[in-house]
Amino acid sequence: MPELRLSMTAEARTVLTDLLKLIAPAAARVSVNRAQIPDNDLEIAGFWTENLSAHAAEEARLLAHAFIQAKGDPAVIILRDEAQACAFLRALSAVRFALRDLVFADISDDQLEDPSDLDDDESLPTEKRHALACYACFGQLQQSLIRQLDPEAFN
Amino acid sequence: MAKPKTKLENKPQTVVAPAPKWNVVVLNDPINYQGYVVIAFVSVLRITSPEAKKLMRTIHQNGRTTVWTGERERAEMLALELQQWHLNALLEKDA
Repeated sequence: MPELRLSMTAEARTVLTDLLKLIAPAAARVSVNRAQIPDNDLEIAGFWTENLSAHAAEEARLLAHAFIQAKGDPAVIILRDEAQACAFLRALSAVRFALRDLVFADISDDQLEDPSDLDDDESLPTEKRHALACYACFGQLQQSLIRQLDPEAFN
Repeated sequence: MAKPKTKLENKPQTVVAPAPKWNVVVLNDPINYQGYVVIAFVSVLRITSPEAKKLMRTIHQNGRTTVWTGERERAEMLALELQQWHLNALLEKDA
């Protein structure tokens, strides 16, 4: 499979990179906390925790590095192969889960599925609306990547 | 021709119970896109995209489904890999 590309405006890249600096370390922790780790075998539980932590930390690094490397306008992220693209997809998923758990845990799943109504909700603090916009952007990047990996995946 | 005499012996037989099977179950979640789940299943379970879509739709409709059944070690490995994809995967002993 040839390299995969994701492009975004330079402004979006700056905003998302700034948010990633804040949320990426927490994303790895949230991933491990959410995991359904078997608790009846201490050895297995330890192995899973260690494995998931290392995995999540590595993906957070990949994500941060990709955004820092994306220069120009539009800023382009290049993923060299399918394995890297899948790791990038997983990292974006971790960040979206972290935002969900840490920033807008009080927003319902239904609202989050179509957050356009929330954009104009002035009762929400600015930071939360900002995070929601970033959450949607990360989702759009994921969808773009999924379509490149499997054009039929959404059909 | 005379038939050979067969002597029947009543030896106690040891019956080995088959090892219990384990299910890898995936629960629905509101964050991951359907296409993402399809790609995760193709990657981890080594199944075709149409098979992955069928599983994904069952999860979407029923809230959960068993995506694999078999021996424990393999089930643990698959559940761990699915969790690396941030899917709600868990292990259950097969009834």
